[in-house]
Amino acid sequence: MPLRYLFHFAQVHHEFRLPELQSISELHGISYKLPNEAKDRDPRRPFMVVELESEEDARILARRCILIKAIYEFYAQGSTYEEVHEVNRQNEHLWKRYIEDTSFRFLITSSHHKIPQSRQREVIESFAYMDFRGKIDMKNPDILLMCFEEYDDKPGTTLERHEGDGKFRVVFFGRLIEEGTARQLIHKFDVKKRVYYGNTSMESEISLLMANQTLASPGKFVYDPFVGTGSMAYPTAHFGALVFGSDIDGRQMRGKQKVPGVIRAAQQYGISSHIIDLATFDITNNPWRCGELFDAIVTDPPYGVRAGAKRLGRKRELSERQRELCLQHSLSPRPDDQPYIPPTKPYELSHLAADLVLFARYLLKPGGRLVFFLPTVTDEYEEVDIYSMLCEGMEVIANSLQNFGSWGRRLVTIRKTTLKQYSPPTFEPAQPPSDEPAHIPAHKDFREKYFQGFKKSDDKTEQSSLYFVNP
Amino acid sequence: MVRLLTHNLLACHAKDCNTNNFPLQFKDVQLEIREADFNPEFLKGFMPKIDWKALVDTARQLGDTSLPLEQPEMVDDEFLKNLHHILLEIHVEEGSMTCPNCGHVYPISNGIPNMLLAEHEIG
Ligand SMILES: C[S@@+](CC[C@H](N)C(=O)[O-])C[C@H]1O[C@@H](n2cnc3c(N)ncnc32)[C@H](O)[C@@H]1O
Ligand SMILES: [Zn+2]
Repeated sequence: MPLRYLFHFAQVHHEFRLPELQSISELHGISYKLPNEAKDRDPRRPFMVVELESEEDARILARRCILIKAIYEFYAQGSTYEEVHEVNRQNEHLWKRYIEDTSFRFLITSSHHKIPQSRQREVIESFAYMDFRGKIDMKNPDILLMCFEEYDDKPGTTLERHEGDGKFRVVFFGRLIEEGTARQLIHKFDVKKRVYYGNTSMESEISLLMANQTLASPGKFVYDPFVGTGSMAYPTAHFGALVFGSDIDGRQMRGKQKVPGVIRAAQQYGISSHIIDLATFDITNNPWRCGELFDAIVTDPPYGVRAGAKRLGRKRELSERQRELCLQHSLSPRPDDQPYIPPTKPYELSHLAADLVLFARYLLKPGGRLVFFLPTVTDEYEEVDIYSMLCEGMEVIANSLQNFGSWGRRLVTIRKTTLKQYSPPTFEPAQPPSDEPAHIPAHKDFREKYFQGFKKSDDKTEQSSLYFVNP
Repeated sequence: MVRLLTHNLLACHAKDCNTNNFPLQFKDVQLEIREADFNPEFLKGFMPKIDWKALVDTARQLGDTSLPLEQPEMVDDEFLKNLHHILLEIHVEEGSMTCPNCGHVYPISNGIPNMLLAEHEIG
């Protein structure tokens, strides 16, 4: 008999839910089975009945998955209470051992709805046949029984208090096994409470989800090549991995004090020894001596909205004379110890994304993961956009949209499936095959589209870019 | 920071500097020793990536002679503890790293090395 568990998920970032469950299960060698019917594994619903091999597996998942609120031993479900009681009676073997003298608490709750007190009592009384003889303990019960009514979410409609009471979609019933303690980390890593952050910092819940996609754990080596103020480095290091960060702009990592900001924030979290090093360089001119170094690469590439993508070089070619002057300037010793800051030119996003995948293929160990965000224009996105930047030996294993309306960003997880060793990428613009027009992904020229308010080229209506506020 | 693990992975990448561009030579260094968690699994996994001669030479230059000249086939706890200390606990906070081939100087300030190239050095 497979063991069934009732997973209660947070009602946020629903496209990230199953990829996270897959990642953490893979990390801990847990096998699980989702419900057969699509409607029962719809990630927008709060509950899902999942088969696991042991209660211990349920505990491991609840302690690590950011999107799990709690896991219950599954006793029953039904679209009416009659159904629930019938199934619950059949499952008596699961709860029989608690009848004699186990203290308990019975909780009844619901989604998008408030159940009136009187009916709460009614429901609890309808379970009287279970005949639990232990004492009721509201503070420290041995077990917590939970009855949950799922109502349909009707966004945009306002209901009267208690309106539609009892018209639930389904009722679930089970015993609490483990609260989802990983959700507390969202507060621990709250950007506003961090001693160092900037306007490129990533919100903590998403950073934690990204860290989970990397399978971060002790002994792993993880790299962020656009590390900025280090948002993903902290949760990744918190889960035990060693982290390396680099950025073209040293000021992002340093901040204004002597001890670099990223190190100060890592100290705040007690993980500074896990930040292996930070270094200033441009990924397109990088000093890595060899490849196959990292278990994962996790990064938020510059989309050009807040921190423009750039690379070393100049927008326009210089004259002979100007070039000579620049050479003199960069060779002459400077009075202070300020490093020479070379000029940069813009770096188009679809080009950067394709380069990042090649760069990751070179630097990842076989089986390693690349986890990164790709911004996209919601209406123009097509599945092929993701595939247009792949290369041999790199396979997409998850692709989760965070939707902001007219634009969004996709958290893409790619696995290196090849054992082959590759040479470092050249970072030259790829030449599309001349006989067929190359596919133009929706994230191409994202910065320009963003500031134009995502107008179609044939769309004549004026829209202000202010309309598109950042989340 | 810069730890010797990092130093062992960084080569000069100036345009046309492809031979004898590693290891970079430390100059005028200020060192700090900071404890790190000992993780033998990480060290064993990382060993095949190490350029052993570069690591031993650099450690000796910084005054640590605990590593054998040849990377041992069999590793014991004492060896791993020494390797751990050298790769992860010695931090170069200030100074610079110079390319033995082209002479490019990569400065280190507050533990962060500046590996950016000048305009005439990129491909
Ligand atoms: C979206 S931000 C990443 C922010 C980071 N996740 C944080 O927590 O602050 C992108 C970063 O990429 C850097 N960057 C832009 N172009 C780069 C390049 N060619 N090589 C390396 N870093 C680059 C920018 O300096 C910026 O810090
Ligand atoms: Zn050189």
